[in-house]
Amino acid sequence: MAYAYLFKYIIIGDTGVGKSCLLLQFTDKRFQPVHDLTIGVEFGARMITIDGKQIKLQIWDTAGQEAFRSITRSYYRGAAGALLVYDITRRETFNHLTTWLEDARQHSNSNMVIMLIGNKSDLESRREVKKEEGEAFAREHGLVFMETSAKTAANVEEAFINTAKEIYEKIQEGVFDINNEANGIKIGPQHSAVGGASGAGGAGAGGAAGGGCC
Amino acid sequence: MFRSRSWFGGAWGRPKNPHSLERLKYLHNILCKNTTVSENNRGTLVESLRCIAEILIWGDQNDSSVFDFFLEKNMLSYFLKIMRQKCGGSSYVCVQLLQTLNILFENIRNETSLYYLLSNNHVNSIIVHKFDFSDEEVMAYYISFLKTLSLKLNNHTIHFFYNEHTKDFPLYTEAIKFFNHSESMVRIAVRTLTLNVYRVQDASMLRFIRDRTAAPYFSNLVWFIGKHILELDTCVRNDADHQSQQKLDDLVAEHLDHLHYINDILCLNIPDLNDVLTEHLLHKLLIPLYIYSLTSDSTRRPTPSPYNRDHIQSIEAITRNLEAILKGKNAEVSPTRITFPRQRIESDDESKPSVSCVVALFLLSQVFLIITHGPIVHALAWIILQSDISVFEDGATSILEMYISNAKSSVKLEFSKPQLSLEKALENTSGYERDYTTPEYSGSKTFGLEDTDQSSCDLDPELVSTSLPSTSQMSESSSVAHDSTEDLVTQIHFMKSGASLKENMPDSPLPDSGIESSSSKTTSELNNITDEEKQKLLGVATTSSSDRVITLENILDRENREIEKRPFLKTILDSLDCNENDYKALFALCLLFALINNKGVNTELLDTLLCPELDSNKEISVARESSISQNETTSTQDHTSTPTHSRKSMQSFNALLISKLMTIANLSCKPASKVRLVTLELSVTLVRIAMQGASGVAGARHIAFAEGLRGRAAALARNFYKCDDIFLDMFEDEYCEMSKRPLNVEWLCMDAAILLPPTRTPMSGIAFAKRLPSGEMERARRAIRSFFLIRDLYMKLTGKQETQLPLTNPAPFVQVGDVLDLNDSDLISCDIIQKDDTWHHRFLAVDNIQIILVEPDKQRLGWGVAKLVGSLQDLEIQGDKEDPRCLHLTIHKPRVGASGALPRTILLRAKFKFDDHIRSMAAKQRLTKGRTKSRQKKMQQIGRLLEVSGISAPTLVPRHRPLFSRPGLTAIRRSTGGDADDAERRLRRPSAHMLKDGVVVYRERTTSRESSVSRSSSTHGSRDGSPRARSEEIPLEDIRRNASFATCMPSTSVAQAQPSTSTQLPKPTVSAETSFISGEPRPKRKGIVETI
Repeated sequence: MAYAYLFKYIIIGDTGVGKSCLLLQFTDKRFQPVHDLTIGVEFGARMITIDGKQIKLQIWDTAGQEAFRSITRSYYRGAAGALLVYDITRRETFNHLTTWLEDARQHSNSNMVIMLIGNKSDLESRREVKKEEGEAFAREHGLVFMETSAKTAANVEEAFINTAKEIYEKIQEGVFDINNEANGIKIGPQHSAVGGASGAGGAGAGGAAGGGCC
Repeated sequence: MFRSRSWFGGAWGRPKNPHSLERLKYLHNILCKNTTVSENNRGTLVESLRCIAEILIWGDQNDSSVFDFFLEKNMLSYFLKIMRQKCGGSSYVCVQLLQTLNILFENIRNETSLYYLLSNNHVNSIIVHKFDFSDEEVMAYYISFLKTLSLKLNNHTIHFFYNEHTKDFPLYTEAIKFFNHSESMVRIAVRTLTLNVYRVQDASMLRFIRDRTAAPYFSNLVWFIGKHILELDTCVRNDADHQSQQKLDDLVAEHLDHLHYINDILCLNIPDLNDVLTEHLLHKLLIPLYIYSLTSDSTRRPTPSPYNRDHIQSIEAITRNLEAILKGKNAEVSPTRITFPRQRIESDDESKPSVSCVVALFLLSQVFLIITHGPIVHALAWIILQSDISVFEDGATSILEMYISNAKSSVKLEFSKPQLSLEKALENTSGYERDYTTPEYSGSKTFGLEDTDQSSCDLDPELVSTSLPSTSQMSESSSVAHDSTEDLVTQIHFMKSGASLKENMPDSPLPDSGIESSSSKTTSELNNITDEEKQKLLGVATTSSSDRVITLENILDRENREIEKRPFLKTILDSLDCNENDYKALFALCLLFALINNKGVNTELLDTLLCPELDSNKEISVARESSISQNETTSTQDHTSTPTHSRKSMQSFNALLISKLMTIANLSCKPASKVRLVTLELSVTLVRIAMQGASGVAGARHIAFAEGLRGRAAALARNFYKCDDIFLDMFEDEYCEMSKRPLNVEWLCMDAAILLPPTRTPMSGIAFAKRLPSGEMERARRAIRSFFLIRDLYMKLTGKQETQLPLTNPAPFVQVGDVLDLNDSDLISCDIIQKDDTWHHRFLAVDNIQIILVEPDKQRLGWGVAKLVGSLQDLEIQGDKEDPRCLHLTIHKPRVGASGALPRTILLRAKFKFDDHIRSMAAKQRLTKGRTKSRQKKMQQIGRLLEVSGISAPTLVPRHRPLFSRPGLTAIRRSTGGDADDAERRLRRPSAHMLKDGVVVYRERTTSRESSVSRSSSTHGSRDGSPRARSEEIPLEDIRRNASFATCMPSTSVAQAQPSTSTQLPKPTVSAETSFISGEPRPKRKGIVETI
């Protein structure tokens, strides 16, 4: 199960907005909302299908590395997509979006697809940021917007997959230089001679990380 | 791929509750039964591992017995066993295993649990396990695992990873093996990990890092950066036509990443580490590659000079000498007075890698912009600014030693591949790794899987003893290297001690280096000056002291002579030549800017560039006298004009620098100039710094230079001065653009596009300022912008306040929400119909520069609230073909200060319907006239700025006064904005009746104080509340001032401004001075009413 493309994502946003939970929910759907368990992880990969093509998503969380300028800089640049996450129950995480966006725009390549995500939509009673506000922010800055819940898994699939779709469209339009791996996009190994070996590895790995989804 | 769940469910009586101890026991059972991974059971294993992570996290938060069971059964050992099997699908299981560990370590909150997990050496065994790293998935999960662990490091947990006794730190040593991995995310993870490790600041661990790993890691890192730069250089050389700009972008960004990473390490302030890193950077990269490349271009044209004719043919040879000195010092015992056989210098030829001068200048700019670590930037700055031929000729290595000493160092000054690959080097440093990696070792007792109580600190004495000899060897050799760097740093430290710069210095300066203080430096330096030289110096001193009048030519002449002795500085200054193009000059400017603004560079060193030549001249002459006499007595210093010691040896190149920069500025005032705006802006910025020098005040001669320059810039812009709408718009747009985006050199140096030869076409996607103008329009824009930049220089040098720019001063504008007294004003009632059929009734009022739509104020008769305000200048007026009562108006948002933007936003586009066609015509007339007038006035202002002949220049009048000053308005605002008491006093003062025509404006939407003032006035007694009473409260002095302004303003300009006014005013200035609506003279108003 070799992939056609590999897209690298980063997840950005204030601490505690549920970035790593979103990641784990997407890559490993096993974590059910029992016993109020919140689990996150820094890295995950999963295979998805767009337009009949296998596309592998690699998601890198940047949490805990904000102290080093060199690190955030490089992360931004190496990604094709970014999920910019805020917590709908904490206004300040929404207020910091501008700073995050400025950072992202400054350091990333100009083609990076950014999706705005209002997380914790399951906590409707504690909501501090209206959905309309998120929509307005996204419209103003040309982002795609979605409210998700890492806990109930609502919209999590869609958030990652829609971002991938947009990247895929950009590739089709020829906006991305796909031969340049610094963009966060890689062409699959199927054409290469050693495709067999790494393909097998990729297949196993994809299954493992993909969990019960595919 | 088969799914495990169905296969799994129901069998073996799986407990229902997924989060329970029973479930973990059940999973343990599965692991026990499936010790060998096979095609059949790998699904089960993956599923089990997944569940284990989940239960453990749940247990960590809810039930401690779960964790106890996990540790009791030593379940991590199962993980290891699974990992070590090389069978089909092992990577499939390994990936899940690593992810389970990731989840475990990331989410465990209970510290004790974490310690238990780490306490037996299993985690280290996992770290050193040789996974199949060719599988990118395994690689990614593995490196994430290491990174996650590094985020858990602190003063306690570090001991689980770093073994002080065995000198073993697998987490770190394994990770840095991937520092140059092809996958960028892996490289980033490695960098993150290293930084996380360094910042733990555990002394013993850092010693290990320094002694065992720093040299191999940093040398490889530096080699990697250097190779990268050579690639960048090739890319620049081969891409004159902007084809692979994206690749270039990436290479530049990558270099910045490296520099930021190095800076992040340096900023952690770990002295030992910084020393090693500094040494490697300077000796292996910055000097042999970056600095060396500065000379490589000029080697083709050997420079004849009286100083080097005999000994050295080309500048390249100097660099070779420099290198040879350092190489020689390696072998030689005595560091002074080394003579080099010429043959040797010439023999190691052509093999040296170098990059083009352009790239070298660009990269050095980046270095100076990002890195502020004193020892590095100061040494570099010293080499660039100070190193001269005499140093090489006379073997005066002691000066050089101050900065790049490596008398005992093992690091050679060359850009070369490290002898050992990083991996090999690391293997040599650690005798333990092999033991970890081999499966045989895992069975041994020391890290036995059964022995759970074994802590990481309990070591097999046998192993310790076997590894000891190598350990001591290593530390010995590295301590030698370390000592020498400490020497270097302490010396630099002493050198800089006068500058009181905050930086990180070794805690324990070596006693012998302590003797060499800055005061002894000068003497040691003088010892190296030959007698001939001394004679020469004396000659200079006597001539300059006898001849007190020093002309600029003399100074330049001497500086030009002197510069021959400074090969690197000469290259930079020579690069400023823009006659052909400004390709190289831009980078030289960037470098100079970065150098001057770097916090780590000693300010005294910068005097070489910044010290004004007249002062320095005196200083130099005096200082030279004193320094020479210092040989006999040291007290002569006391009567020198400046107390600084190190200045005495400094030759300033200030005049030369200024003349070069002025040449650029002058060139850009020529119509067909090849100087880009960004180059001009940078030159102008630098010229200002250089002219103001240390004192911050520019001399009269410099101001005269700037004045002349301003005249030329104005002349250039005058060529494009036309009385059409486009010129005015362009003029204002350019001003906004310039004030909105002041030059940011750091951002400029992030742009790879400037590395390619300057282009003209806008289709390159390069910003206007960074390319040459294309077409007449852009040439006009360029001329205007050049004028602004040069004018700004002139204003700043003279310390004058800018009073004429921007053309519009937003302060006295009526703003939306202002309450206006409209008694006695011309108002035209109209309905405003917008596109979406929304309908409003408003009154249209026209000011000198503004169109105001008001709504009657409900509280006060005759007053109105401004609902929409636009500037007449930005108005488009069109009649309606079908309905003569209607007008179509488009009001653009005005450019105010720096907020003007392209493309312009529309404030309102609507149909205005008036009561009848006469009123419609009147409105159209008034608006059209207003628009023309306000534009004419602005054109006059521009004319004055550009000194267009025929436009008188009433320079005394501040720009906004004749246009729209409103005495009443300004007075009220000023009083409300000021001190409350003061404001009240002003308001109470009885006022003259002459202001009854003034408009009083209250702001109800601004600050609380302002609103409280206006509100109190309206709610108080009836007398106070009446508008007339308010208007009488205008302070007298404001009126007087305005009156005086009015009278001193020449009437010619006003007459010119309103050539078509039918009613000649008794005092022409009044219409300009008094404010908008009621300011209109009464006769005129009557006239209009009559026509209606």
